[in-house]
Amino acid sequence: MAELWINYIWPVVWIVIQILMFLVPILIGVAYLTYAERKIISAMQMRIGPNVVGWFGLLQPFADALKLLTKETVLPTGASPVVFFLAPMITFSLAMLAWAVIPVNPGWVISDLNVGVLYLFAISSLGVYGVVMAGWASNSRYAFLGAMRSAAQMVSYEVSIGFIMITVLITAGTLNLSALVEAQSEPLFGVLPGWYFIPHLPMFIVFFISVLAETNRHPFDLPEAESELVAGFMTEYSSMSFALFFLGEYANMIMMSGMVSILFLGGWLPPYDATPWNLIPGVIWFAAKIAFCLFVFIWVRATFPRYRYDQLMRLGWKVFLPLSLIWLALTAGFLVYFDKVPA
Amino acid sequence: MTAIPNLTPAYAEMFLAIAGMALLMVGVFRKSDPIRGVTMLAILAFAVAAVLSISTNGAETVTFNGLFVVNAFTGFAKLLILLGAGLAMLLALPWARNEGVSRYELPVIMVFAVLGMMMMVSANNLLSLYVGLELQSLALYVLAAFNRGNLKATEAGVKYFVLGALASGLLLYGSSLVYGFSGTTSFAGLADALTGAESNAGVIVGIVFVICGFAFKVSAVPFHMWTPDVYEGAPTPVTAFFSVAPKIASLCLFLRILVGPFEDLMDQWRQVLTVICVASMLWGAVAAIAQNNIKRLMAYSSIGHVGYALIGLIAGTQEGARGMIYYMLIYLFMNVGTFAVILSMRVKDRYVESIDDLSGISKTNPAIALALTALMFSMAGIPPLAGFFGKYFVFAAAVNAGLIPLAVIGVLSSVIGAYYYLRLIKIMYFDGSVENFDRPDYSTSLVMGVCALSVVVFIFLPEPLLAGADAAAAALFQG
Amino acid sequence: MIAATLAFYLFSALAIVGALNVIFQRNPVHSVLWLIFTFFNAAGLFVLLGAEFVAMILVIVYVGAVAVLFLFVVMMLDINITMVREGFLKYLPVGLLVGGILLAELITVFAGWVMSDSADVLRAAPAPDPSDIGNTEALGLILYTDYIYVFQAAGIILLVAMIGSIVLTHRTRAGVRKQVIGEQNARRPSDTLEVVKVESGKGLQ
Repeated sequence: MAELWINYIWPVVWIVIQILMFLVPILIGVAYLTYAERKIISAMQMRIGPNVVGWFGLLQPFADALKLLTKETVLPTGASPVVFFLAPMITFSLAMLAWAVIPVNPGWVISDLNVGVLYLFAISSLGVYGVVMAGWASNSRYAFLGAMRSAAQMVSYEVSIGFIMITVLITAGTLNLSALVEAQSEPLFGVLPGWYFIPHLPMFIVFFISVLAETNRHPFDLPEAESELVAGFMTEYSSMSFALFFLGEYANMIMMSGMVSILFLGGWLPPYDATPWNLIPGVIWFAAKIAFCLFVFIWVRATFPRYRYDQLMRLGWKVFLPLSLIWLALTAGFLVYFDKVPA
Repeated sequence: MTAIPNLTPAYAEMFLAIAGMALLMVGVFRKSDPIRGVTMLAILAFAVAAVLSISTNGAETVTFNGLFVVNAFTGFAKLLILLGAGLAMLLALPWARNEGVSRYELPVIMVFAVLGMMMMVSANNLLSLYVGLELQSLALYVLAAFNRGNLKATEAGVKYFVLGALASGLLLYGSSLVYGFSGTTSFAGLADALTGAESNAGVIVGIVFVICGFAFKVSAVPFHMWTPDVYEGAPTPVTAFFSVAPKIASLCLFLRILVGPFEDLMDQWRQVLTVICVASMLWGAVAAIAQNNIKRLMAYSSIGHVGYALIGLIAGTQEGARGMIYYMLIYLFMNVGTFAVILSMRVKDRYVESIDDLSGISKTNPAIALALTALMFSMAGIPPLAGFFGKYFVFAAAVNAGLIPLAVIGVLSSVIGAYYYLRLIKIMYFDGSVENFDRPDYSTSLVMGVCALSVVVFIFLPEPLLAGADAAAAALFQG
Repeated sequence: MIAATLAFYLFSALAIVGALNVIFQRNPVHSVLWLIFTFFNAAGLFVLLGAEFVAMILVIVYVGAVAVLFLFVVMMLDINITMVREGFLKYLPVGLLVGGILLAELITVFAGWVMSDSADVLRAAPAPDPSDIGNTEALGLILYTDYIYVFQAAGIILLVAMIGSIVLTHRTRAGVRKQVIGEQNARRPSDTLEVVKVESGKGLQ
């Protein structure tokens, strides 16, 4: 009996505990991300924002959630029921799945996969399915148009995201995310932090903008452009299924911010391995970097107007793709020429 | 660092690949009349590739980890392919101007198709065979549908693509069975594994699938269904290209693979090929009779010619291989010449394709009539024209290899086939004149003249020309 | 080990279920979704084989890109399934005949399967020992050295496919006004605006 416990049951229980240790903070993070978004935008627009429910409106996210839960679930006429309800689940669970390989501190990771970068890329490239399925299953023009836009947009920007990831991973010489973070610990020229956003600054910017497009965020929120398409692919959703989409989208933002932090901002690493910096635990550094990225997400939303569709395609295919390709070639050439290819 | 493989044998292919990409750039950035400049440059590229391929021609060299081989045979086959493609390209030049086609991708895709064919011919592994074959097929699918506004062209493209994909699938499936037996895909390894091995169902089924795939690519009966539609739907210079270059490439590869790695299984593949060959000869002769569109007629004619060429392959001897190479050489000139004639069938600035349009042109356009007469007599195999020698060499090889029935069927079907070739001549000389043709373009007349002349004077200069073919056939059998 | 075996049966069973559903679904969009499901299970099988790189590439390329476009097209086309099924009964006998012959052939082939003596050795030759090299690295080591020729050739095939699809579909339409960002940026206020001082009571001009 004891053997069964040690060999089979305990590992499973332990994995479940680990998963919960990741999921609970993320879900709370999602809740407060919506709150933060409203508060930050209102501050930028000289408004007050939510301030009624709870102290400073801190309970607002929970009030919203409760409201959504108590509403009626509507299935549109002619909709395809299975696909219709599958779509939000896919969006949500994909955003959660990615966390399986994201290391938040040395050794703090559920699965230290050898091909972690590829796994992340694979998961992020699947995000389009939730949107497309939702758009098709809703049996509504608005939703379908939103889904089509979204599919084209996400597939387009994925290409340059892929190239940028390759650039980063040839610099680090590994596909393992923990090793990728460790590779950024060596200071650059002995003074600057070794984080990759310094040597790869143009790619950092391109990557961040592509992430905005990949998560359907402003200024690339064409798939759910409310002034043209009501709410795009989410038009027909209500209640719990809408809540899942909502959670999924915001969890995706957090996940993508985590990806940016790991690839370019040194993950859990402090800027310098010296006393005032390294007293703060790695997890806090990682969370702070994610928070910073999320702030930029919101900042961008409050600042920029929406792109037109042709502008979006032009940016993706004619600007970002050549840029990232050239940068990849440059990086590879640099590494080979100066004999700096990581073994 | 690992050593860079020996690139010298592949210079021609590498040059052509780079030239193709460079031509794409030229086409994009050239503002006025891009197709003309790109076509000229493509012909130049073929010439350079031919020179490179001759200069690397010699002793058998294997490179790229055994994936690629050059020897006298591949060198000769590449020359034929480049020649056929270059002549077709010369025909494309005036065609593009007359039809107002401005899409410079046509010559670029042809360059890549030729690259694929050269890679096929030089393949020394099922893997490199497959990528070469796919490169040429993909380029040909696009070429077939190039007149995308035209319903027939679209139909041709779709048919060719669907059936071609099926054929590639068969080939790949057969290859996987062969690999499953031998554990290797390299030709040398296959030859080792198959020599002396007791014949087993897996390998034989595998080889049959491979043969089916190839039979499709050379458009032999019963895998010929796409041919008439594609020939009719594709632009005429492309049809000229289709009728020579891919056939030569596929037949040469066919020959290399069957007498190379699969030589030990000759008893098995001979049966299959005999059926294919006889069916192609007969069907090519019979079905052409009812055709009224000259491009469709040429399609059936080419099916028949492939049948004759296959006789040389079935003989499986050095003499047979030599016969097949001769046949392809002669076929190239006859076919390209005929397509040059078809391209000079222009009435009031419009291309016409019906056989009746040829009616009575002996009076109005005696030169064209004369050229076509020479070509048709040659196609029918009437001595002393080139076509006769082509047939003679393969039939002789078949007889010497003890395949007398095959040779008899070949002779019979060429008698049947002679009917429709001679019918064209009858229409030209004995029917009333309908309309005048426009004056043919300079380069079309050039190609027509050269081809017709070489068909006629073939009897006087076989020796220097055929020495290369002899060396090629010898290279195939020295191993 | 039991877990791996169980996972194998799980993935393969699900892959077969998925594949069958691809064929038997009445709605083509559902078929594509099942196809994606099948791809996932295939990726799972690759992971079990220790080929995690191939598994991830399968998901990225097939599921993340190819199937998305496929789904895109199928959704746009709105295929009428009854139209597609119209000739079904007519062609059924021929189809069954061909399928039956092929099946019989395959059964004879695999029943009498033999391998050449050297096959096992040859087959194992290119694979390095998995314990001392990761499979991403192992693939890279042979892909860019031994098989560089095929690799480059595949690249050219893709180039031709790209040129081909552009040639066959791209049309330049007349009368479309495109945004020229260079022109927009080059525009200065002085090009269009003129600041004039108007004396009161005079008006312009």
